[in-house]
Amino acid sequence: MVIMTEDQKMIYFMKRIVAGEKIEADDWMPREYRDTLIKLISMHGMSEIMGALPEKEWVPKAPSLYRKLGIMAKVQDEMGHGQLLLRVVEDLLKPYGKTRGDLMQDLFNEDLKFHNVFHMETKTWADAGLIGWLVDGAAIITQTNMLGASYGPYAKALQRICAEEVFHAQHGEAIIMALAEGTDVQKAMVQDALNRWWPSLLMFFGPESKATTGTSKQEATIRYKIRINTNEELRQSFLDKYVPRILSLGMTIPDETIYFNEESKEWIYQQPDWAEFRKIISNNGPRSQARLNLRRSSYENNAWVREALSAKVN
Amino acid sequence: MSNTEKVLSVEEREAVKALLFQLADDDFLFSYRASEWLGLAPHIEEDVASSSITQDTMGHSAMYYMLLENLGAGKADDLAHLRPAEERRNSVLTERVNGEGYYMDTPQYDWAYTVVRSYFYTQAKKVKIDSLRNSSYEPLAEVAIKVNMEIYYHLMHWRVWFEQLLSSTEDAKVRMTDAIKLVMADFGDVFSYGDQKEAIERFDIIATEEDLEENWILAITPMFEKLGNDLPVVPKNAERNGRNGEHTRDLVEAIATLSEVYRMDLSASW
Amino acid sequence: MSETKSFYQEYEVFSKRTPTSSFQHQFNLLAPNEDMALILAQENFMRREPVVDIWVVNRKNVRSMSEEERMSLPRLDNKDYRTTKGYGYLRKKWREYEQGMLDEKEILSWAGGRKK
Repeated sequence: MVIMTEDQKMIYFMKRIVAGEKIEADDWMPREYRDTLIKLISMHGMSEIMGALPEKEWVPKAPSLYRKLGIMAKVQDEMGHGQLLLRVVEDLLKPYGKTRGDLMQDLFNEDLKFHNVFHMETKTWADAGLIGWLVDGAAIITQTNMLGASYGPYAKALQRICAEEVFHAQHGEAIIMALAEGTDVQKAMVQDALNRWWPSLLMFFGPESKATTGTSKQEATIRYKIRINTNEELRQSFLDKYVPRILSLGMTIPDETIYFNEESKEWIYQQPDWAEFRKIISNNGPRSQARLNLRRSSYENNAWVREALSAKVN
Repeated sequence: MSNTEKVLSVEEREAVKALLFQLADDDFLFSYRASEWLGLAPHIEEDVASSSITQDTMGHSAMYYMLLENLGAGKADDLAHLRPAEERRNSVLTERVNGEGYYMDTPQYDWAYTVVRSYFYTQAKKVKIDSLRNSSYEPLAEVAIKVNMEIYYHLMHWRVWFEQLLSSTEDAKVRMTDAIKLVMADFGDVFSYGDQKEAIERFDIIATEEDLEENWILAITPMFEKLGNDLPVVPKNAERNGRNGEHTRDLVEAIATLSEVYRMDLSASW
Repeated sequence: MSETKSFYQEYEVFSKRTPTSSFQHQFNLLAPNEDMALILAQENFMRREPVVDIWVVNRKNVRSMSEEERMSLPRLDNKDYRTTKGYGYLRKKWREYEQGMLDEKEILSWAGGRKK
């Protein structure tokens, strides 16, 4: 084999990235690429696992057999997405000797964070619908933006995930439409859910620049062709698709200032409270600690099962 | 539905309904308890896999509730959500909590109990389904053929878990043995038809209680022989018989939760 | 806990959609042993599609290629002699002999057997 220096490897690697080739798990990659992917995908994966918790609160309460089945299938998919993503990141972590157990510990030690939306309370059944429709809607925007990611295993996982997200969105739409077309109480319920979730939805895409939070993966992820658009472009794309739909169902956007500037082709809107965002993602949101506790206690409570089956390895 | 369906006498119709309530409530409550595990199973891959079983099982209960709806017992969703505990006909085994704590807080669910309950219950269900495939009530026989298709996987899944945990560490064996005792203490009404025994058995809708129990013991014997464990004994008389509406507080609380939204407005569409 | 005795063994999952289709790689999962891997496989990766058979393979039994070894895979596009593409002129020749060409479409159509 031709012996390549680190510099030559880097040049060859960037050539592959530019040419649109897919990088595989065992290929040489610069440390920055590996670490960027680890940070991005571990947060994505853990958010799916933590994201199952707010929705599962509504599984037993779902108001018909059909809705019970639908939301169960949806939460199951969230866990399934977590599975796919954690497998991808676990392979990236091999050179560091880390496994799924270590990732769980990172979450419990609060070194590994999860998306802002999953720190929030779910107060009514309308929240379950809204999460499916708009939180998953926002997730569809960010995830489809990475379908062409240069890292092959991530792109492959995302293809599976995005296919299932289509079902999630429709599951959410069905719940929301039933409420929006329902009684006055139901209509009020769905509007109240939108009012409470609106700032979180805007925050979902992250701040426009790193000046807001101190760190940002935007630049590296775009340079390495992991994603295409910036946070703000993704948020604009969310507003493009969902504002007209929200209005069409007779709901109001809880932001009197929002409008579409025809000249710049951009939505002008009230910025969410980014200080609040920083607080939430550092696990100080309304339900952060309760959900972490639930995840931690169920993991520890079941440790004996994993221990027992370690004796059954073949 | 079959077009050769015969006209039922009033007594036969009531007997079919009595059995359907038992089958429907069993699967509904069993699935409800399983759904509380969502997101909390010992392993992520298992969380995903067992959720499919939970969904299948609720799907089965929905089919039984639909048969009841077709027999004029009321709307399937009403039957599932609104009937108070004393009207429920599920086995007490299916209503028991998974462990300590409310699902919204930080519950300490017991995986050993869940594995044992699921294996024993699913095997009992398989024995009933095998009999129901030849039911004199044809719409029920048709449903049983469908349910049978999915139950192979359920049974395979829980057998693997049961066998592996019982043949692993000492700690796991102790937990599993304790769980077997807990589950068997509630097994007295699993094969019971309660005060409907005579009516249900008379019309050949399903095999007798005694036959079902015997078939269940036969089905689990190879597993227990392989593991070298003593065969469990089905209690002769249930302390509470769920088939007669005798239930625990666990069921009252479960119904309050599962119907919380549904009850908000019964005329609304959700 | 040593690597070999960990609960987290890696299994690659393959499945077949129909009896005559090939096994296709789906994804991979963690399980302590193959029986457990098998009962987890279908519901993790094939919840919404038909499956007629499943394989699970512990990854340590898969000999995969390195980035450098994969460079041995591309080949030149000069191997018409190995495919029907290199024999396309026969169609015209057979026409001269007033015979049809037994091409792939024709030959595979014989699967239905001889018809009177």
